[in-house]
Amino acid sequence: MDIVQQAPILMILCPFLGAFAVSLAGLIQRRWCYPLTVLFTAGSAYAGLGTLIQVLRTEGGVIRYRMGGWEPPFGIEFRLDALNAAIALMVVVVALLVAIYSRQTVASETAGKEGHFYTLFLLLTVGVLGISMTGDAFNLYVFLEISSLSSYALIAMGRGRAAFSCFNYIIMGTIGASFYLLGVGYLYIKTGSLNMTDIARILQEHGLYSSNSVRIGFLFILIGVWIKMAFVPLHRWLPNAYTFAPSTTSCLVAPLMTKVSIYVMIRIMFSVFNPEFVFGVGPRSDLVVWLAVIAMMVGSFYALAKNKLKMMLAYLVIAEVGYMVGGAWLANATGLTGAIFHILADGLMTLALFLAAGAIYYKRKSYNIVATKGLFGKMPFTMGAFAIAALSMIGIPPTCGFFSKWYLISGGIEAGHWGFVVGLLTSSMVNAVLFFRILERAYFEKPELPYEPGRQGKNALNFVERKGVDEAPLTMLAPLWAASLGLVLLGVYSGVVIDFISRYVNSVGFQ
Amino acid sequence: MMNLHNLPPSAILIFGALLLPLMPKQLRNLWCVVLPAAAFVWVWQVPLGHEFAISFLDFQLELVRVDRLSKAFGYIFTLNATIGLIYAFYVKRWAHHAAALIYIGSSLGVVFAGDLITLYFYWEAMAVFSTFLILFRGLEGSKKAYGAALRYVLVHVAGGLLLVMGLCICYQKNGGDLTFSAELFKDPHLGSWLVLVGFLVNAAAWPLSAWLPDAYPEATVTGGVILSAYTSKTAVYTLLRGFPGYEILIPLGCIMAMYGIIYALLENDMRRILAYSIVNQVGFMVVAAGIGSEWAINGAVAHAFCHIIYKALLWMSAGAVLYMTGKSRCTDLGGLYRYMPWTMVFGTIGALAISAVPGTSGFTSKSLTIHAAEQAHLFWPWLVLEVASAGVFLHAGIKFPYFVFFAKVKDWTLEKADIGEPPWCMRIGMALMAFLCIFLGVYPEPMYAILPYQDVFQTDPYQVFTAGHLVSQFQLLMFSGLVFFLMLPMLRRTNTIAIDTDWLYRRIVPMFYRFTDWSLNGINRWTAALVVDRLIPRLNHFFARGPYRVWVRVNMPFARLNRSMGEVEEFSARRFFYRQAMLGILPIGVTAFLAVVGLLILFFA
Amino acid sequence: MSEETREQETVATPPAAPKHGGFDPGLIRKLWIALGVACALPVIAELFVDRHHGHGEHFPVDWGFGFYAVLGFLACAGSILLAKGLGLFLKKNEDYYDHDEPS
Repeated sequence: MDIVQQAPILMILCPFLGAFAVSLAGLIQRRWCYPLTVLFTAGSAYAGLGTLIQVLRTEGGVIRYRMGGWEPPFGIEFRLDALNAAIALMVVVVALLVAIYSRQTVASETAGKEGHFYTLFLLLTVGVLGISMTGDAFNLYVFLEISSLSSYALIAMGRGRAAFSCFNYIIMGTIGASFYLLGVGYLYIKTGSLNMTDIARILQEHGLYSSNSVRIGFLFILIGVWIKMAFVPLHRWLPNAYTFAPSTTSCLVAPLMTKVSIYVMIRIMFSVFNPEFVFGVGPRSDLVVWLAVIAMMVGSFYALAKNKLKMMLAYLVIAEVGYMVGGAWLANATGLTGAIFHILADGLMTLALFLAAGAIYYKRKSYNIVATKGLFGKMPFTMGAFAIAALSMIGIPPTCGFFSKWYLISGGIEAGHWGFVVGLLTSSMVNAVLFFRILERAYFEKPELPYEPGRQGKNALNFVERKGVDEAPLTMLAPLWAASLGLVLLGVYSGVVIDFISRYVNSVGFQ
Repeated sequence: MMNLHNLPPSAILIFGALLLPLMPKQLRNLWCVVLPAAAFVWVWQVPLGHEFAISFLDFQLELVRVDRLSKAFGYIFTLNATIGLIYAFYVKRWAHHAAALIYIGSSLGVVFAGDLITLYFYWEAMAVFSTFLILFRGLEGSKKAYGAALRYVLVHVAGGLLLVMGLCICYQKNGGDLTFSAELFKDPHLGSWLVLVGFLVNAAAWPLSAWLPDAYPEATVTGGVILSAYTSKTAVYTLLRGFPGYEILIPLGCIMAMYGIIYALLENDMRRILAYSIVNQVGFMVVAAGIGSEWAINGAVAHAFCHIIYKALLWMSAGAVLYMTGKSRCTDLGGLYRYMPWTMVFGTIGALAISAVPGTSGFTSKSLTIHAAEQAHLFWPWLVLEVASAGVFLHAGIKFPYFVFFAKVKDWTLEKADIGEPPWCMRIGMALMAFLCIFLGVYPEPMYAILPYQDVFQTDPYQVFTAGHLVSQFQLLMFSGLVFFLMLPMLRRTNTIAIDTDWLYRRIVPMFYRFTDWSLNGINRWTAALVVDRLIPRLNHFFARGPYRVWVRVNMPFARLNRSMGEVEEFSARRFFYRQAMLGILPIGVTAFLAVVGLLILFFA
Repeated sequence: MSEETREQETVATPPAAPKHGGFDPGLIRKLWIALGVACALPVIAELFVDRHHGHGEHFPVDWGFGFYAVLGFLACAGSILLAKGLGLFLKKNEDYYDHDEPS
């Protein structure tokens, strides 16, 4: 039994067992929680690497891991191909980086609750990993709920309006998950199977594409997933939930949850169903693309109006979701390639930006954008990494943002959807204005505090302004820089990654 | 046992330099002298024809390629470095030594590189590390040094960009073979022109020459000595290697020679005079490269060899004066012969050498170039070179020592109480250089022996020390001297500078910068004020608050129907609905509503 | 009245720069003579030397006796005049560039 072949399950087992270990550790000695979390996520990342290598090496490019040796469609399987191997790896790498990063922020923001926090952290990782790896539709729902519940709890641990935003998120998230479940239910009724490949086969063989139930099922899944990914106009839960969550939670949740939901959408659209169905019998694709354009505009312009850094970034996430959904619904290979590459790129970008925002909050004790003034002098490394991530958001080579936008725009032109192209370009321009404003403030102005230091009372901040460079700690800087450099590396090696993604896209069979 | 011949001499200097911070302070300066001496031994010992390549990615990098041409340059570079670092023994800042060593090592790397890619890496390293020699003067208190260093590095980076562009094109054209030889550039095309221009930037060819007199005088005392030798001569080497016989180099070199003289006559700062003098002398070498015959290349190499020595000597003496007096402008100097006699003697020997006075190394080397011009029947270049030779005596042979050491009687002790000879290390350095100048002037055979083309000495025997030649040279020189003293009143020094081609980027660019700042930032500010500060928040407000107001408006009539309300009740009812919308209904309710509606729409669409 | 003007004169005019830079005029005269001799010697020497008029075979120009002396003289005088001429355009005050320096 080759240990390498067990890599997929190891990837999920590590955080799973880790969750148990950490919850125990939280009862015994809170100080162990952090090292244990890092250890288990590192193990998971290592397994993830092994999985990716396996996928690369396998003939046919698909590995299937059967749980307990049970054959599908009765058994549950993990199915890793060119689409999700990289995404799964991204998930664990993000989890690892955030775990390393979390030391000081968790201790300061959720003091006393480290055990709970890290347990939920690892469970969230389990959930998201499971979503990205599983080949069974119902199993996906289970993991979806695991990740959602963990994320609700993690978000609710924040300050101020966190509990309330989380409540909104719970309701809306549950609506989304329930829609998904309903959709899967419809498909199960019609096909009798829960395994994705199997469903696809049965739908094909029995010509069920014209069935209304199947169509409704697809739409339920679609809407459910759209709620989970905060696709306009179903996005209202996201900004508040991400803003008021603790720093570490936002860093973990923002790059992962929405991206993985987009992955689910693509998987359902193209692996369970196929392009003929989706773009033929399914809803009008150009309508969806227009919705995506609105998402981009809403996201970018609202971000411009916000004066809280994390709120701004949350709206940018909404805009990015618009890019990806639009790309996938352009109905051509280029657009889909762009969308998939953007999942990876955006995961890293969002990670880097939220990590930087967390670091800024940790040192400056404020989320207000005014706190970024003069920060290049005080926190040069943080701002340097932030600048790289900003360049990627805007789409400047050689960061990966440029390459994903390139593909998305090419796909838009190919599909003749000029609205999408214009929307994408406008959004990039607005992003440019947004970030250059911050960078300009950070570079040229003097550092300023948006409140009076020494404020007493329950909001006393214990803030001491130190002279000169006052950088975030190394455990926060290292993951931040790893993410930023990863953006550049992903851009430089984009050719390799695109080749890899193309394996999947070509198998989808666009005309 | 690793073949030491495979260790590029650049590695000796560069890695040795990296060890500097780890060494105890007392040994550092000694180490700095040992390293180039070791490199000298390497050059001496390495067999002709030795080649060493490594492969990196897709490329074959020839790190070591030894032939007579590279060996000759190797000898003089290492020799100059050894003596120069003896001169620099007084420098306390180890980073300065490290930068100098890496710079020198990189130039050795260029000289021994067999392919253009290796060359390019060393080329860029030279540009970067030589900048530090200028920057360190800024740390010693000069404000102008920072600007000069910035301009210097920008010019060199630009030149490097042209070089790499040309390199890429050559790579394409040549099918991936970038072995550095004249073969590569035989048929001129865009790539070879770009590479040529890249090399010419470093050679300070007019009009790309203004960086040299701009930057070198702003370097540190030792920095100037070291800078004077390497960048320009490395460029000469590359021209001799890659572009021999390119005819455009002949008029270009002639222009450089005259340009150097004219500007040197106009300048006031003694080190700027010497900088323009470098351009002038390199002009001779460029002409020789353009002629390209075996005599010409021999002449260029001999000239480069001797030039490095006497130019270093001149910069050393100027540096010594600067070090002891703190001044470098001719208007501030003069009358130093009494206080620094040895410096004066050495400086004068250097001045005589550059003027090619018989008995000095300049005579034995420049004559070869002029002979090559005669051989090739190139009348006008020959004439220009002779004129330039006269002019050299004028601006460097006489003007420099005269205004610095003589010109007037001045009591320096009033200004600087401790005026006197420079530290012993400087004196030894100058003495060694002066010795070499005279030695090679009287007994040039060792230098001739390392010249690339030895056969020409047999096939076309040329005697340097013929009576006729001596007489002609003395005539030329003495009458030049006569003109100097006759026209001395016209040459009175003034507190001015002469603007050079760098006026273009020093004046035009700031103007352009100010214009773009005014126009673009103006638009930026206006848009920010209008759109960002006013429009967007208003829209935001509208979309955020609007729905709540709609909800209030929808519900109020029903509330009013229920019972009649006073003002206070109405207000609290409004508030109730508003908050209801804000807290519960709108985010969740609308989402749910839209989800269902969306479902229906998508189903029927 | 004349005393005042005289005082004004002596106060107003700066002291004249010492002739020959402060060197002893006798020394200067001796140097000039030495220079003259140094110029004459090579010219005389040419009478005794065969300057291997090799230039004749290479170049169309070789003005014979004293060629190099004349060449040196004209070249230098020309250079100086040319420099003076160009200096009218090119010479600027020392701090010409200073207010353009990047801060």
